[in-house]
Amino acid sequence: MLNVDAEADRRDFTVRAALDVADGERVALFGPSGAGKTTVLEVIAGLVAPARGRVELGGRLLTSTAAPAVAVPPWLRRVGLLRQDPGLFPHLSVRANLTYARSSSGGRSGSGRGRSGSGGAELAEIASSLGIDGLLAAMPARLSGGQRHRVALGRLLLAHCDALLFDEPFASLDAALRRSLTALVKDLSSQRSVPSVLVTHQLSDAQAFADRLLVMDRGAILQAGAPDEVVLRPTSRRVAELVGYLGFVPVTGSGAAGSGATGPGAAGSGAAGSGLVVGVHPDRVVPGADPARGLVVTGTVTAARPSGAGWEADVLVGDAPFTCRLPSRPAGPELSVTVLDPPYFGQDGAMLAPGGSAPITRG
Amino acid sequence: MRSISSGFSILGAAVIWVALLGPVITLIGRMSPGDLWAALTGPGNLDPLLTSVESGAVTLGVLICVCTPLAWMLARDRLPFPRVWEAGILCALLLPPLVIGLLLVFMVGPYTWIGTILDWLHQSATNTFLALVIAEVYESAPYYVLGAQAAFASVDTSLEQQAGLLGDRPSRVFRRITLPLAAPGLAMSLAVAWARAIGAFGAVVIIAYHPFGIPMQIFTTLQETGLYTALPFALVLLVVALPLPLAAYVWSARAERRRRG
Repeated sequence: MLNVDAEADRRDFTVRAALDVADGERVALFGPSGAGKTTVLEVIAGLVAPARGRVELGGRLLTSTAAPAVAVPPWLRRVGLLRQDPGLFPHLSVRANLTYARSSSGGRSGSGRGRSGSGGAELAEIASSLGIDGLLAAMPARLSGGQRHRVALGRLLLAHCDALLFDEPFASLDAALRRSLTALVKDLSSQRSVPSVLVTHQLSDAQAFADRLLVMDRGAILQAGAPDEVVLRPTSRRVAELVGYLGFVPVTGSGAAGSGATGPGAAGSGAAGSGLVVGVHPDRVVPGADPARGLVVTGTVTAARPSGAGWEADVLVGDAPFTCRLPSRPAGPELSVTVLDPPYFGQDGAMLAPGGSAPITRG
Repeated sequence: MRSISSGFSILGAAVIWVALLGPVITLIGRMSPGDLWAALTGPGNLDPLLTSVESGAVTLGVLICVCTPLAWMLARDRLPFPRVWEAGILCALLLPPLVIGLLLVFMVGPYTWIGTILDWLHQSATNTFLALVIAEVYESAPYYVLGAQAAFASVDTSLEQQAGLLGDRPSRVFRRITLPLAAPGLAMSLAVAWARAIGAFGAVVIIAYHPFGIPMQIFTTLQETGLYTALPFALVLLVVALPLPLAAYVWSARAERRRRG
């Protein structure tokens, strides 16, 4: 179990992290660049000293600013960190990189848990599962980007860490490779039964990896929950923006989605007074008016462009723009779409409960 | 077209190389094997060579032990006001060797407090082997410190951090990661320092006229018997000083090739 409750001062804001990650649980810290996500990982790894707070891992107190202060050095923490740069040691072969932690002064190889079989057999097993068994004699300079990341991942696994931290590890790779490596990391993290934390600004990576998603912005965790819950029910407009809502259309009242009674197509000028807006996620839109499935929105198409296998359209409703993805090119300038089960936000930016007006508290 | 351009590049490089080698070519061209033999077989003529090699080796030892930690601390910003420290090293580099020698007389000469302490220890920092080493250290240290600082700075600190997270204490990180990665640069810095130490003259002529090293032998032979008899010693200096820098070059190139796989 990893318990973090710490604050670290940065030049522009204070990073406040409070998270508990159970053994075998995978948590993704998602947020824009500069939100303070990496700082959280560095506090856990002991690379940054927090201004206040404590970090505990598997019952061991790693950091505490309360008297008597505790600061276990990074080499004794048994915390593995994989960054975007795989950080392979260029003067050592792949094999020596993989087995680096075995000969470390911390005696890592014997102290970790979940160790199976002898060292050589385990090396062969992990190298084989990562598809790098044919590269053991190679030097890192000869490897491709994907191979380097696999070796770095293998090195992390052979180190038998008590927690695995991933700091945008595959951000520089292409989408397909990123997907396959994220799936691999997910499987291996689960097998190890240790707390795993992934930091990313790619929502798809976070969703693919995590059991639990934490949305972070300017040093604060804005919302925590299951990945689909966070995306479908963002507790604030800011969270909605971060998880991909590309438009906030004013509505005339707080009617629930599906009523069709408060279609913003009829709103525009009249909606401004209520301050109520509905979040439009481009992937949660179907063409045509279907009040039974959601909120009907009618607007003017200002631009349309091919996107993947379909089209992406910019639509204006009164003064409010939104973007949606459609299976085909919009037929004309007028477009009616149905926004499926959209979240509503009040004037203060907090989400309103579906069908009601009580704001959902931030969590 | 590309091969013509490449040919011109090689020709241009060759011209510059030959121009730089001009003094060495002249030295070899001006000397007969007989001159060289006569110079080397004269009674006591090899003593300066031995003195130079010994003092150069001791100087390198001092530089490695004393200046390597300083270079590492400068490279890793472990010192307060790092620019002040670097400016100090540059001052030592900018002072002409002759001036360094003069100032060393005021610093470690027999009438200074350091000289007094050395006298109690039955040592002296003028006209002794110790004086020769001191002069060589002062002439070569800035070159080594600046080179070693650049070598350490070239090592990615995230690799050191990663090694720490994999369980290595800082001392082991230094031994297993920092030192091997900085080693080619350190070897080159050491080669430059060796060249400066074994060829040191300006400071040496002031505080360590005796015991004779090779540069002093060349100087005195020039004064006493003329240019032609001095030249063989210059060739000896070159032959003795060359292997270490050459080995450093070869070793650095091999290390780089190995890294590239």
